[in-house]
Amino acid sequence: MKQKTDVQQGTLALMVLKTLDVLGPLHGYGIARRIEQISGDLLAVNQGTLYPVLLKLEQEGAIASEWGASEKNRRARFYRLTRAGRRQLQSETQDWAQTSAIIARFFQVKAEDLP
Amino acid sequence: MKSLRRFFSRLAGVAPQREQDERLREEIAEHIALQTAENLRAGLSPDEARRQAYLKFGAVEVMKQDYRAARGLPWVENLLQDTRFALRALRKSPAFLIITVLTLALGIGANAAIFTLVRGVLLKPLVNRGEERLIYLHQSAKGIGMENETFSVPEYQDIQAAMHTISDFGDFSQIGFTMIGLGEPREIRGGVVGGSYFSVMGLHPVLGRLIEPRDDGPKAAGVVVLTYRFWTTSLNSDPSVIGKSIRLGSIGDRFATIIGVLEPSVPYPADTEIIANIVTSPHHLSATMVKGRVHRMTELFGRLAPGATLEQARAELRTVYAAMLKAHPEAYPKQDDFQVDARMLRDQITSPARTILLVLLASSGLVFIIACSNVANLILARTVRREGELAIRSALGASKRALRRMLLAECLLLCGLGAALGVLSARPMVAILARYASRFSVRALDLTVDSSLLWVGAGLALVGAVVLAYVPRLPTADASGSMTLASGSVRITGSTRRRQRVFVVTQIAASFVLLAGASMLITTLIALQKTPTGLDTRRVLSINVPAITYGKTTREVIDFYKESIRQVEALPGVDKTAFGLVTPWRDAGSFGPGFQFSAEGYPHVPGEEDPHAHFRVISPGFFAALGVPILAGRDFNDLDGRSKDDPVVIISQTLALRMFPGQDPLNQRVYWTDPVIEFIPGFTAAHYRVVGVSADIDDEHVVPGPTLTIYQTVEEAPIFGGRLFVHASGDPYALVIPITRIIRGMSAEQPVERAATLEDVRAEVLTPERLNSLVFGLFAAVALAIAVVGVAGVLAFSVSARTREFGIRLALGSQPQNLLKGVIVEGALMAAAGVLAGAAFGFVLARLLGGYIPDIKMPGALPVAVSAAVLLAAAVVASMLPAARAARVDVMQALRSE
Repeated sequence: MKQKTDVQQGTLALMVLKTLDVLGPLHGYGIARRIEQISGDLLAVNQGTLYPVLLKLEQEGAIASEWGASEKNRRARFYRLTRAGRRQLQSETQDWAQTSAIIARFFQVKAEDLP
Repeated sequence: MKSLRRFFSRLAGVAPQREQDERLREEIAEHIALQTAENLRAGLSPDEARRQAYLKFGAVEVMKQDYRAARGLPWVENLLQDTRFALRALRKSPAFLIITVLTLALGIGANAAIFTLVRGVLLKPLVNRGEERLIYLHQSAKGIGMENETFSVPEYQDIQAAMHTISDFGDFSQIGFTMIGLGEPREIRGGVVGGSYFSVMGLHPVLGRLIEPRDDGPKAAGVVVLTYRFWTTSLNSDPSVIGKSIRLGSIGDRFATIIGVLEPSVPYPADTEIIANIVTSPHHLSATMVKGRVHRMTELFGRLAPGATLEQARAELRTVYAAMLKAHPEAYPKQDDFQVDARMLRDQITSPARTILLVLLASSGLVFIIACSNVANLILARTVRREGELAIRSALGASKRALRRMLLAECLLLCGLGAALGVLSARPMVAILARYASRFSVRALDLTVDSSLLWVGAGLALVGAVVLAYVPRLPTADASGSMTLASGSVRITGSTRRRQRVFVVTQIAASFVLLAGASMLITTLIALQKTPTGLDTRRVLSINVPAITYGKTTREVIDFYKESIRQVEALPGVDKTAFGLVTPWRDAGSFGPGFQFSAEGYPHVPGEEDPHAHFRVISPGFFAALGVPILAGRDFNDLDGRSKDDPVVIISQTLALRMFPGQDPLNQRVYWTDPVIEFIPGFTAAHYRVVGVSADIDDEHVVPGPTLTIYQTVEEAPIFGGRLFVHASGDPYALVIPITRIIRGMSAEQPVERAATLEDVRAEVLTPERLNSLVFGLFAAVALAIAVVGVAGVLAFSVSARTREFGIRLALGSQPQNLLKGVIVEGALMAAAGVLAGAAFGFVLARLLGGYIPDIKMPGALPVAVSAAVLLAAAVVASMLPAARAARVDVMQALRSE
């Protein structure tokens, strides 16, 4: 159970970083929408899980936040990527590509391929 | 790095909770609002749009929990909450709070203070550079009562030449100087050292320079180094003293220049005020001293050669020493039992204080145990009273762990407050204890309070808190627990009572050990103080008037004393005045075991050494001045000693009995045979005629024993030292000023110091014993007080919990006296059990400690019996009050109380 959450949280964190990288400063709802658009139903039922992840990233220094005005001129908290966050995104993107390539190769292997 | 950063950020997140909660609430509200707007745009009804938004967001409360968990550190928050709760709970019972905190402060403070003392005196390294290679050489001759015999120059040379494992040697001789030229003329404690001493000891100057090899030899100029304490306390740290010239008098006088001030360090072997080079003591340069193998005056220090260990040095030293003994059998008689040993200097310095400090540490440990037991009892009683509250908490779902955590927070708070108070009070305690311990080790004088005090306090608080938190039994959720919950009243359980008794018995046992130890010390002290000395101690004033020989002939020195005596005796209120060599007890040990002598006609048993006798120089009237009877013959008179042909002595009674059994000692002859006397100017090997026999005066021991003493008259004996004894008819201290005036009138340079009655000298010598009794008596009194409160508390609690039982018993016709008796018997039984446990524990403890501390003594029967009686009586008195309450129980009220 815990494992699953960890993986989910890990991927969610990566998605948050990438979203902020592509779109620039965004409020929580904006990030949730964007992730929903791309990932389908990952956040369909519990967008709320995003907030602990945002807090954790902020504590680690990957993102920073400040109050700003939303589209409707309401007070909203805007998140943006920090320099450390950009570095983290780069290295994690690489890791992710590597991991997924290895996993992909693993799944392609059939019994007869093995010597 | 990242995790560390997150940790601090989380730690910071513990505090501003409200603000953070507010932020989250706002973010959620915004999120929902935006989602709702989106849904409205998609065509949903306002209600539905809102509902869907919430659905999509997920469980808000769960998310909030996650968020909070990620934000702060849950355990810190729990701890803070527990502490806040504990504070509130404790504030509700201030009496409990005050008593426990004070008790704990006492236990923790005493331990922290004594630990600081032990650390400072026993454990800290010396300031000497490379002190881990610093060796003290120790020679003993137990056969003649010399536990720590000094070395002679030839011995030093032999050892130095043969040793390889010790690369450098330093020597130090203790000597008393009269010092003129620096403030009042006075006697000072001094040391004479070779040029290697300071480099071997690894010491540096704070001002000027120290004594170096170039200051060695008879041609060097006299130089003096001041010790730091002397410089700061007596000379106000005046830097201009460097370069000053002073006159030092011992046997012969020399001028010396002050060249430096030594850094603060442990003075060893003696707490001296100055340290001079050899040339300042003519005696040390005399041929007799340099060549005499038995003329021992020097203590030796060494530095281990690179790569050598203490064990190797010790083994080599024994071999070298054995060879030396073999080469000079005449200097080392078998029955004298000459031995040598090498020790770390650090151990040599701390050894006199070790016993007393370890015993002190053990006592403070006992006080801690007593304090904790007492607090444990209070906490137990309190938990029982709170059983209802705890049961409700447990029923509402508080886990056992949460309840325990709550108790732990309370105990931590109590112990923390106790420790804070204890550490605060420990500082002044350390100051007082240091002054006390300085009687045993000079290191205590330089004691500084450092952070170790805090650590010990905190450590003890933590230990105490954990122990105390696990003492009470927690209510379980079973049937009996719900019973308590239902009735909500106090119901003392068997196990709680058993535990309480165990704690009381522990307290009494520990108090008993302390009490027995203290009463042993006090009995010893009383015995010491009551021992008759044979002297008229209250009426006799002793004044140091050391001989000043500079520029005077011996005749002039003698005449100076005779004239002083004549003028002092002319003062009103003076019965008798006389000259003596040493102040009893205060100057003990100045002449070692005395000198060997023999008597004409005394049969010489081959292989048996001549006996030692103390050598004392006196003027006529000495015995009368001290109130000591002359048993046979006569006192000296002014004509004795004038004629070289008929030298005379007076001997002590024990000496007469020993040397002349069954004979008339008068007109027999005695003579010195000790090889040392040839090195002491003025001594002769003449055969002295006995003209008188006096009662024994044991001026070496506070508890007098049989003493061999030979008295010579001031007319013909060498004079060193110099004391005047004045027998007063009125107040002895009223004479001090006129006497000083008379002597200073005759010679302005003459020191006149340390006037005190022999009674006060004795008290001064007994100060360590009195201080020991005082400190341990104080410990015991505190322990007794806590134990009495403990017994009374437990019984009071037990009585109040049994009100109903007493009511029923009274209703059934029980006599109030029986209830009274029952409670008192309960208290007495607990005390008796405690005393027995204490006796057993004390016995085991003494046995165990005896392995580490050789001079631990078992208390005699009387102190043990007295302590047991005191404790039992205290327990009975303590149970009176609760017992009286039990007997006064109002039947109707008691029965209605359920």
